Amino acid sequence: MNESLLFLIPLLPLLCAVLNMFFGMRLPRLFAETMAVTGVAGAFVLTLLFWGQGGGEGTRAVLFSWLSSGSLEVSFALNFDRLAAPMTLMVTGVATLIHLYAVGYMHGEDDYARFYSLLNLFVFAMLMIVLADNLLVLFLGWEGVGLCSYGLIGFWYRKLENAKAGTKAFLVTRVGDVFLGIALLWLFTLTGTLSISAINAQAATISPGVVIALSLLLLLGACGKSAQLPLMTWLADAMAGPTPVSALIHAATMVTAGVYLLCRFFPLVSLSAVAMTAITAIGALTAIYAATCAMAQREIKRVLAYSTMSQVGYMFMAVGAGTVAGAMFHLLTHAFFKAVLFMAAGCVIHLADNENDIFKMGGLARRGPPELFWVFLAGAVCLAGLPLTGGFFSKDGILLALFSHPDPVYRVFWLIGVVTALLTAFYTFRLVYLVFAGEYRGAGHPHAIPLLMRWPLWPLALLGLGGGLLNLPAFVGGGEALHHWYGTLAGLEVDASQEVEWMLVGLAAALTGGGWFAARWRYRSYRPPLDNAVSRFLLSGWRADALVDCLFVRPFAAMARFCSTGCDRTLFDGTINGLGRLATSWSNLLVLLTTGRLTSYLSAFAWGFLVLLGWFLLKLVNGGGHG
Amino acid sequence: MTIPFGHALAFAGALFVLGLSCVLIRRQIMMILIGVEIMLNAASLAFVAASAYWRQPDGQVFVLLLMAITAAEVAVALAMVVYLWRRKRTLVADEFNGMHG
Repeated sequence: MNESLLFLIPLLPLLCAVLNMFFGMRLPRLFAETMAVTGVAGAFVLTLLFWGQGGGEGTRAVLFSWLSSGSLEVSFALNFDRLAAPMTLMVTGVATLIHLYAVGYMHGEDDYARFYSLLNLFVFAMLMIVLADNLLVLFLGWEGVGLCSYGLIGFWYRKLENAKAGTKAFLVTRVGDVFLGIALLWLFTLTGTLSISAINAQAATISPGVVIALSLLLLLGACGKSAQLPLMTWLADAMAGPTPVSALIHAATMVTAGVYLLCRFFPLVSLSAVAMTAITAIGALTAIYAATCAMAQREIKRVLAYSTMSQVGYMFMAVGAGTVAGAMFHLLTHAFFKAVLFMAAGCVIHLADNENDIFKMGGLARRGPPELFWVFLAGAVCLAGLPLTGGFFSKDGILLALFSHPDPVYRVFWLIGVVTALLTAFYTFRLVYLVFAGEYRGAGHPHAIPLLMRWPLWPLALLGLGGGLLNLPAFVGGGEALHHWYGTLAGLEVDASQEVEWMLVGLAAALTGGGWFAARWRYRSYRPPLDNAVSRFLLSGWRADALVDCLFVRPFAAMARFCSTGCDRTLFDGTINGLGRLATSWSNLLVLLTTGRLTSYLSAFAWGFLVLLGWFLLKLVNGGGHG
Repeated sequence: MTIPFGHALAFAGALFVLGLSCVLIRRQIMMILIGVEIMLNAASLAFVAASAYWRQPDGQVFVLLLMAITAAEVAVALAMVVYLWRRKRTLVADEFNGMHG
């Protein structure tokens, strides 16, 4: 394939997005749907065709010169390299299946053109992040996914809480984006270039203190997009969006953009041990935080949202431990099984008559098509890390990297990761038992599930289950394909003995089993939800929203009130209005002079004449010399 | 017999003050107009006297111009007086105060 055709990969979704945006409602519905799916599927096929060019040094395609000012020359360039190729394939592939699912899911929706155009636009923006060769293109995609995420979370904007959730996601991620913007501009002033590869090549010349600051700024930017502590509050509320959106944006692709960003800048970030520890710490804290929150959630999609945060925390830990291959491996398997879980959750909600509360479900295994249970279970065992599934291998690789890291503090992070794995298994099986086991506890009538909402689950479920084959570790006879594919980009080598690896595998298996047994013991026969202080605390996400409200929102509102009523209305408006009133009252006085009576004018005229005359006389008397 | 310049100016001044007094004191529009005419004639007289004193024709030329302008002014003013009379059936100047602020 000609490298100049690389631009077709993002162009196809963009084209379909624009067409749907302007003509979608005038075209037949089937045409709009087909176009949306075709755009993404076309990008997927193109990625497959381009695959060979991703190896080695990758392929770089310059489309046109975007900005040119003095020494600054920014071209709109794409880079299809070893890091981008698998990510592009995953994004387009998963997006294709989710688009197909969305066609079924949005069957009764009237406003379909807006939905499909935003969804396609999202894929375009995500591909911009993945394929960006320079910081400006990256930032374009970065902001683009934020915009589409905002539009799609608040897709049903007539319900105020949905619109609020969209705004919240937009604002919270914007905090991260500001830090990212600072980092990008700083990088530009330091290196004089916007090209990512050039910056990474010059990373060693930057002074260590600046590297730490830059890495932390990048980390904060990644935290915003990936819903990590402390910018994590938006993701659970983002579940207000349609389920395909949750599956595509808030599970498989956009929330992993932060991980991808850190992997992109790994040569820079890895120079600073402090930054690496900070990344790991953020990942570890988010992982355990989100896992505890997930244990108490009642809405099926919120459980999955918290588990997404937790799993993305694992990916951050992997980057922090220095294994880019491990992070990307978990990113890929997670994208598969979490997309399955979300899409199956959409079917489950259909079956439960649009009921989100898992305590009002139950017995859904017999209520709907039987394959739904198996597909959901496939996603769940991947998430729980059942041995031999994709999620097991990718999570195990991360825990191994943490365990064998030379720095002793990483043992603490490893321990957190292990505890999180146990909690993950527990809440996953809790979800399975509450949704599928026992008798139906709700009152709704099941909705029929369209065929398009069923079969896209299978390929993803199989990919999730077999995802381990992507990077099968050596000690079970695998080839570590992904690790070899990344080559020099894969990060640090994990140096561990066979015994340690087997020990960790055994531990992981035991944890999964333990979590399963605990969930089975607790939820096999239905028990109503606990309502004590701890569960309320976990249900509200450790009261993070209240904390943010207390720390930022309320002081900000108070300051805004001060600026509005204190400064603007009182001081400025008062001054201006006072001046106006002064002028009015003066003019009211002056109005008295214009009586409209001829005689008073005439006498005033005469008096004026007298004054003038007197003045001239005085001048004449005082010093006639002037003339 | 030649009249001294000072006498002529004094007479013109007295005439001007009389006209001004008429303008300021009377309330009837007709009387105000007559006062204005008297003031104009006083000014003309001063011009003529000055012209004779300095033996320059400019003053007399100016008086001729003034007469023409006065004729025009009186024509317009009397037309307005008729109009005002038709409006309010009165010629008291203070009745027409529609232009107050």
